[in-house]
Amino acid sequence: MNNGRAIPLISSVCYVRLAVSEPGASARFVSDIFGLQRVADQDGEIAFRSDDRFRTVSLGHQAPDGASVGIEVWDDDALKEIGRRLSTAGFTAREATAGECRRRYVQSALLAEDASGNRIDLVVRPTRSGRRYFPARDAGIVAFHGVGLRTTDHVRDLAFWRALGAEVSDWVGDIAYVRIDGLHHRVALYPSKRNGILYTAFEVEALDHIMQNSYFMQESQLRVVQGPGREPASRQMFLHVEGPDGLIFSYVNGMATLDGKPRLARQFPLATTSLCDWGSESKDVPELGAAV
Amino acid sequence: MIQLKDVSYVRLGSPDLESAEIFATTCLGLQIAERGKKDLYLRSDARAHTLCYSEGNPNDQTVGFEVEDEASLQEAASTLESLGHAVHAGSPHEAEQRKVRAFIGFRDPTGNHIELVVRPERSGRRYFASRDAGITGFSHIGLNSSDPARDERFWTQVCNARVSDRIGDIPLMRVNAIHHTIALVRAPKAGIQHINHQVESSDDVLRSYYFLSERRVPIVFGPGRHPTSGARFLYFEGPDGMIFEYSVGVDEIEDETTHRPRQFGFEPASFCMWGSKPAGMTLPNN
Repeated sequence: MNNGRAIPLISSVCYVRLAVSEPGASARFVSDIFGLQRVADQDGEIAFRSDDRFRTVSLGHQAPDGASVGIEVWDDDALKEIGRRLSTAGFTAREATAGECRRRYVQSALLAEDASGNRIDLVVRPTRSGRRYFPARDAGIVAFHGVGLRTTDHVRDLAFWRALGAEVSDWVGDIAYVRIDGLHHRVALYPSKRNGILYTAFEVEALDHIMQNSYFMQESQLRVVQGPGREPASRQMFLHVEGPDGLIFSYVNGMATLDGKPRLARQFPLATTSLCDWGSESKDVPELGAAV
Repeated sequence: MIQLKDVSYVRLGSPDLESAEIFATTCLGLQIAERGKKDLYLRSDARAHTLCYSEGNPNDQTVGFEVEDEASLQEAASTLESLGHAVHAGSPHEAEQRKVRAFIGFRDPTGNHIELVVRPERSGRRYFASRDAGITGFSHIGLNSSDPARDERFWTQVCNARVSDRIGDIPLMRVNAIHHTIALVRAPKAGIQHINHQVESSDDVLRSYYFLSERRVPIVFGPGRHPTSGARFLYFEGPDGMIFEYSVGVDEIEDETTHRPRQFGFEPASFCMWGSKPAGMTLPNN
């Protein structure tokens, strides 16, 4: 996973920045319904915490530099190495300005794009908070977990992630579960007709919270686009909830950890039974429904 | 005192054995042990049978509990008769029908038909389910009670049941280490309110939720989690309106001598900590 390096190039998925049409309405969903902690706005963006990090979600009004996913890079040397590798692999990445770094609460960054046009921020020293996380409601969230990304060119997009030192843990059809640390995956690439963030996932304490949130959404008459369910490949339980603008926020728990030994990626067929062990299906989100 | 060791079987009358068999095998997932002209024997674990459908009136519902030996059975018969319960001594033919060595039958104060049995048969062959529901065994029953306080006294003073927890005035009672084997349910007349089978994991509870929903089996409560026993559960309706439950993760009472029953308020959160609401199934006190 470290591509021969003693230390990995990247260590976590550390934030998402989302562009929405009505930040106020989306913010109410994210804090009052989904259960993240809303914190002070900055530069016209509404920010949220989900764990000991300073910010893990920001909402902007169709921000000029669009949505992006933050990937924590080990240090500035690793950032340089990533820049070289991306350039060799034919991807563009540019250094972030001081203003861009401030908006992202990081010390330095390379702003890159995968082949589908998903913006990936490679960031060094994302800010942590000294105060503990204290959400608006008891949804059981313990940490930001990862993202699902739509991909229009899964071969080239995978080359992008491999340049960062990430590896495929398993395949469902051409859906790739991408591993960047000891967990089965932090990023999942879903072949799609368009690009963008498919879902943003937050780990909860236990199955109890997946289920409590499931009934909470029913009572709040919010749309659950899939779940409660469990991915056979990663053993992760999930509940995918839809907020304003079709944003999908997910509660997850129970993902398999891998021991770091060499391991062949397993291939599962593109079928609903490969995407949910329990039998949940997504009828409205084609990427989640094995329908693409 | 009558020493109940475990719940042994349930016998249910049914006018339509064919439908009962289809439900038991394709939905519930039990194994057919034996199919007679008027009886259908079903397995759920190492025992030769734990559920028997007999051609007849669906109001004929019987639950069997195992006692130690024939001497205990005789003692139980005298105790019950001295308290004014009519006791039926099972004939050899009736014992054979129940796959037990000997048994007696009586009615509890609500009028539930109870049998005490000696040496219920085990099977040499392992249990092999008709569908992969993950069933590990028949575990407990919900029993109707027209007067829970009176019936609690019967089960705890005449028999050896102990109260593990109460929701309102409804006791959940154990006869061994398992949190409860008998759950009383307030109801106007006698009957079995639900039949519980344990499954391997919470995955099985959720899988069955989707599986049974797809087959239009009415889900009456759950998926949920009982804050009392800690069990994850799913209640659904079978033939003749009988309710079946799958559950997993029932607590065991670790220290028999120091366990104190906890009191839970009579409210939905005491029945499900996840937030599921009963649909088509009344909560015990209603």
